[in-house]
Amino acid sequence: MNKILYVIDDNSNNNYKYEITEDTIIYHFSINSSNNVEINLVNENVNLYYYYNNINYDDNEFKIDVKHKVGNTHSELYNHGVNVKNNKLTYYVNGIVPKESAKCICNQENQIININDGKSTICPNLLIDNYDVDSNHGAYIGRFSEEKIFYLMSRGINREDATKLLLNSYLINSDSIDLNKIDKFIKEIEKI
Amino acid sequence: MLEIKNINCSITDSDLNILKGLSLKIKEGETHVIMGPNGTGKSTLAKAIMGHYKYNINKGDILIDKESILNLSVDERAKKGLFLCMQDPTVIEGVSNSEFLRTALSSKTGEKVNLYSFITDMEQSMKDVELDSSMLHRSLNMGFSGGEKKKNEILQLKVLKPKYIILDEIDSGLDVDSLRIVCDNINNYMKENKEASLLIITHYPRILEYLKPDYVHILKDGKIRKSGDISLALEVEKEGYTSINVMS
Repeated sequence: MNKILYVIDDNSNNNYKYEITEDTIIYHFSINSSNNVEINLVNENVNLYYYYNNINYDDNEFKIDVKHKVGNTHSELYNHGVNVKNNKLTYYVNGIVPKESAKCICNQENQIININDGKSTICPNLLIDNYDVDSNHGAYIGRFSEEKIFYLMSRGINREDATKLLLNSYLINSDSIDLNKIDKFIKEIEKI
Repeated sequence: MLEIKNINCSITDSDLNILKGLSLKIKEGETHVIMGPNGTGKSTLAKAIMGHYKYNINKGDILIDKESILNLSVDERAKKGLFLCMQDPTVIEGVSNSEFLRTALSSKTGEKVNLYSFITDMEQSMKDVELDSSMLHRSLNMGFSGGEKKKNEILQLKVLKPKYIILDEIDSGLDVDSLRIVCDNINNYMKENKEASLLIITHYPRILEYLKPDYVHILKDGKIRKSGDISLALEVEKEGYTSINVMS
């Protein structure tokens, strides 16, 4: 991958805009923030991998528009949130392919884990105006699978440590992430 | 001793009992086998002993060394020495095999496990079960073949050194070589840990060519209907369950 960006925000409202001209990975780690992200894929044959990992305590929103402004472009979004308290967390995730952009791949995977009884919403939208496009979306809101917790506990790991293992794997969901660069976020995971 | 005393067990939120007055005593060093037709409650028994959230024991008791474990959580049962080798081990993406095993080991010992010494110690165990050492760094059971999953269960057994081992259809989906490797490792474990006992749940007597049982039990309609030695398993293989003369 040509370009790797790390973004960490903490208790803030933010607007981000990216013009993607080369293959890019964006690791976005967000602590209790609302974010509005606009991404434009502007060169043919570019690949974008966007990882949004979010720990949430108050009412917050995450809105992202990924626009395939030219054909032969590829986007993969992985949006993972943890809603810790009884608050609202809302994701609006829009993959946009206009009529003139053929042969695009536009995928998104969205999950929010509710630790307590928070109200979480995911709006996964694929706004595709071209027939020659490969596009998928998925959304899950819920808790960690009891089957996974059972498996971990059956080896002597208590529920708290089992949940911690799952949280780490869920919020740091790529082997390529440089952990030294997200120290603050790792410490925040410990607090959940 | 692991003692199952006259238990009834149902699925959570259902009144229908799957196990109906099942009793079994497994003493130190013994190997017991449970066989039975599909849907008769064999895996239910294994999971109920381990404290699986989907099963309720609504009558009877399960004891380890004369102490009831029914009020213990799953991890507390594991710390008492229980170990369930699962029929279909759960895939957990993102949690590496080494991270998982290290956490399990430190939960057992109460001490932090040094990564370097852990990896070094694991090398021999990985060789024993014929798993490539790279599998330590892969997500838990993710992308593992059926055989690799079962070997990984045995690897966990070797690391955690439990006393009461339940093998829930460990032989299903294994080719002949993998079955031999798995069973050789279990036999070696049993030789090295004389106090350990085995409860084998299986459909086929083939595994019993490797793991010699002391007792074979036939489970039918939620209850042990007949007990005997290995000849009972061979009779089942030859005649099927319907022809076995069981207690009513």
